[in-house]
Amino acid sequence: MIRLQNIQRRYVSDEVETTALHDIDLHVAEGEFLAIMGPSGCGKSTLLNTLGTVDRPTGGRYLFGDRDLAALDEKALAKFRGQTLGFVFQSFNLIDELTIEENVALGLAYRADAGNRRARVAAAMDKVGIAHRAHHFPHQLSGGQQQRAAIARAIVGDPKLILADEPTGNLDTANGEQVMNILSGLNAEGATIVMVTHSPSHADMAKRRIDMLDGRIVASAMRDI
Amino acid sequence: MNRSALLSLYRSLTRHRLYAALNIGGLAVGIAVFLVLGLYVRFETSYEKWLPDHDKLYVVEEYWNQPGSPANGYSTGTMGGLIDELREDFPGIVGTRMQVMDANVIRPGSATSEAFGYADPDFLDVVPLPMARGDGRRALRDPSAVLVDETTAGKYYSGVDPIGRTITLAVMGKAANYRIAGVFRDLPKATVQRFSIIARMPSPHPDAMWRHWGSERVMTWLRFDTPADAARLAGQLRGFVDRRGAKDLGDVTKQLSLPVTPVTDLHLQTPGRKLTMTTLGLVGLLTLLIAIVNYVNLATARAGLRAREVAMRKVLGADRGALVRQFLGEAVLTVALAALIGLILAELGLPLVNSAGGLSLVMPYGLVVPALIGLTLIVALIAGLYPAVLLSRFPAAAVLASARSPGGGRAGTRVREALVVFQFALAIAFTVGTTVLVAQTQHVRSTDLGFRRDGLVIVGSTADSALDKAQVASFLQEVRRLPGVRMVTTSDSTPGYSTGNSANVEVPGRSDSGPSLQWITVGPDFFPTFGFRLLAGRLPDAAHRLDDMRNAPKDSDPVNILVNRRAAGLLGFATPMAAVGRTVGNGAPRTIIGVVDDARFFSPRDPVNGTVYYYASGQAQFPRTTLRVEGDPRRMVEQLRAIWRRVAPQVPFSAKTATQDLQDYYKADERAARLFGIGAGLAVLIGCVGLWGLASFNTARRVKEVGIRKTLGASSADIVKLLVGQFLRPVLIANLLAWPLAFVAMRAWLAGFDDRIALSPLYFVGASLLALAIAVLTVLGQSLRASRAAPAWALRHD
Ligand SMILES: Nc1ncnc2c1ncn2[C@@H]1O[C@H](COP(=O)(O)OP(=O)(O)OP(=O)(O)O)[C@@H](O)[C@H]1O
Ligand SMILES: [Mg+2]
Repeated sequence: MIRLQNIQRRYVSDEVETTALHDIDLHVAEGEFLAIMGPSGCGKSTLLNTLGTVDRPTGGRYLFGDRDLAALDEKALAKFRGQTLGFVFQSFNLIDELTIEENVALGLAYRADAGNRRARVAAAMDKVGIAHRAHHFPHQLSGGQQQRAAIARAIVGDPKLILADEPTGNLDTANGEQVMNILSGLNAEGATIVMVTHSPSHADMAKRRIDMLDGRIVASAMRDI
Repeated sequence: MNRSALLSLYRSLTRHRLYAALNIGGLAVGIAVFLVLGLYVRFETSYEKWLPDHDKLYVVEEYWNQPGSPANGYSTGTMGGLIDELREDFPGIVGTRMQVMDANVIRPGSATSEAFGYADPDFLDVVPLPMARGDGRRALRDPSAVLVDETTAGKYYSGVDPIGRTITLAVMGKAANYRIAGVFRDLPKATVQRFSIIARMPSPHPDAMWRHWGSERVMTWLRFDTPADAARLAGQLRGFVDRRGAKDLGDVTKQLSLPVTPVTDLHLQTPGRKLTMTTLGLVGLLTLLIAIVNYVNLATARAGLRAREVAMRKVLGADRGALVRQFLGEAVLTVALAALIGLILAELGLPLVNSAGGLSLVMPYGLVVPALIGLTLIVALIAGLYPAVLLSRFPAAAVLASARSPGGGRAGTRVREALVVFQFALAIAFTVGTTVLVAQTQHVRSTDLGFRRDGLVIVGSTADSALDKAQVASFLQEVRRLPGVRMVTTSDSTPGYSTGNSANVEVPGRSDSGPSLQWITVGPDFFPTFGFRLLAGRLPDAAHRLDDMRNAPKDSDPVNILVNRRAAGLLGFATPMAAVGRTVGNGAPRTIIGVVDDARFFSPRDPVNGTVYYYASGQAQFPRTTLRVEGDPRRMVEQLRAIWRRVAPQVPFSAKTATQDLQDYYKADERAARLFGIGAGLAVLIGCVGLWGLASFNTARRVKEVGIRKTLGASSADIVKLLVGQFLRPVLIANLLAWPLAFVAMRAWLAGFDDRIALSPLYFVGASLLALAIAVLTVLGQSLRASRAAPAWALRHD
């Protein structure tokens, strides 16, 4: 489904030049659950953002299906994200002024096709178990609840690909487990997931794991099933 | 405030340079506008307050309750003998009078017109004008002495002591020598009745109408120790007028009353003036309010962004008192800076405002500085106290744990939105006001006056009583020969100049005394020279004996007249045609031979008077000369002056174009429009600054949200729509408030004009579109920048 070829990401600021990604080659098949691991600063988030098209590579090719995403302009990319992707962040990134329900509905706000919004929002909230908190504001929820709301927002549009950057990083063990179970369940239902994590046990719940160091992929392993 | 706090204030001002400049600058401009307009209001309300004992001085006015008549309304003149009759009926009353007119100062080979006052010998006992030299009271008891003001003294005796010098004055056509016995201080600008030379009034007065009720010869002053005394007399004047006036006025007496007006109230009694002053004062006040509101709003919004700093300081052990002191100290310093800049701006702007408004305002530092200090403390208290208390109350843990800075929550958003509504409502109302003011002042300059105002030169000096008829005749003869002079005529009234003559004209078959009509005496060619439109009948000519007043020496002799459209209506004729050939006036039969269209010789504020035109083949009694000329009227005036010097060197020459003469009626409104425009423009500018600040604050707070929305698929256009859209709703609501406000205000202002524009909806729609465009442009720049930021960057941003 996804093919990265020679992807490079270089940050140039004043004098310093940082290369966050060196010649990354990566293939993600449909239905995969991929975990990315590595020490802090090795480029995991940069890679995930590149996959999510919220960051543009400075070199290489990014093929999604048979589309070359480099050829798309900002507007088309925004549309692509809205239709195809779901994001989950370490710090939840819910909008404070909106209720949980409104936050989840945001996942449909930028799609043209989204009919039957109320039902889909309700279904997504149900799936992650926060329907009873629909009319609360984010700051009234625990971290785990907020992250589940963020997942609901990510999945409400039935994305082909879910990108999760340390989704359990801010959560305690129990809440972390709960989030991982939801993600596994989604994968089992057919969603493709790419997840950054620092937790080996969570990485073990993925089907495949890659390790990064200094902007390169240094190892790739399939989980034995 | 300690050193570290000062340092941090300085850093925050220089780090957010644009923000600081706009925030402080906006407040400074608001303060400057307020100061300047405040000075203007202070000037307008300061009339006669320079006069010692001004609170004890009153002027007897005439008030004519005659709607539709030229005399309707207030007049500061009374009949000459009023004070004598008042003394007879109310013994012990203290008062005096002065008759102000033009007199000529004659020097070998030239003459200059000066404002001259005949005063009672006790004038200075009642009205204590400040003297520069000499004993004024003694001088006024001497019929051969005069008092002059400092300017006049310097003009005729520059560099030498004027006391004891001789000055030759022609008063009411009679020249005599006077001795300068004293110099009084120049009357300040804030003076209603101006004069520069005073002499003792002759007694008995030579004027035959001196004691005629209804005439308006002198200004009658009264002096009371308390307002209650004044009110007591005022209460008795109704009976006095009825008792005394009837012998001259008959049943018209009941239309006349004599209000006793504090001398300090005279200036603002002029129609429109108080409204203008109040409006401009309000503009100043509201501009300041907008600026303060913006400042406080931005300051508190920014303070919200500092919640994290406050929380950290608390964690580090700062107590609430220290935090409150820090915030208040910062606020006082920044507001003081704004006040200082505002003062400088006002001082720099004063010359501009003085020339735009025809004023000569100066900054009274003794008053302004304490006022600014007070203002600084108040604004600083509001701007500093709110964040100080609010922030120091935030639980530190909550602030530190939250991913985002508190912006005051939904309540904060509401308040900010309300402020935007308030500002834009004012901005829109101000814009409507400015356009209507400008449109109306343009309109009166170009409207059809009923005569052709271009190419008319009016020589007022041919009406000078010091001239003899031969001089007038030879001047006219030479003028007719000048190339470029198309037509010449004489009349006793010209645009901007009225004899004030009016009389009731009885209508046959009606029992009342008939409408009060202004009458004007005109010479040959009057109507074609001015370009009047004849609506019905014919113009006067030499072929009809009865057209000419000179063939009707007695008032009761029949004579032909022309009337204007208004007079024809007031006399009860349905159409101009119906008036032609009809005779009006009972004891003095007047046959209407023609009806001309209304011609506006006077203010656009007043209705055109119903007017009777008498025709006289020779010169009118006080002939003012009007020329229709080709080419540059100013060059023509110079040619006329050269002729005048030869023919009548002992009489001052004055000639103006009709446009210049009418200018006096437009000046005040044009000045007011300009001042309003400046104030309103700056208010709108401050509003924009405020909106810009709010937009930048909101955008800064929403950077992360923008990032989230973009990862969710929002395009740049979606983001711009979101960020701009949040300001459109308040701006649209602002329209709903502004329209009725502006409508009511401008309708009231336009109601002061007889000749006025219609209050077209275009002014309102235009102003709203403008406000909308300004709002969008103000917010758009930042929204675009925010929308372009890469979402990955925005998400890392904290
Ligand atoms: N906007 C930027 N400008 C310059 N350098 C950047 C920028 N964003 C990231 N980097 C650098 O790119 C490298 C990779 O960063 P990235 O956020 O991908 O690391 P990470 O693996 O996600 O680390 P962590 O586990 O701490 O989240 C780092 O060295 C970082 O300093
Ligand atoms: Mg990371």
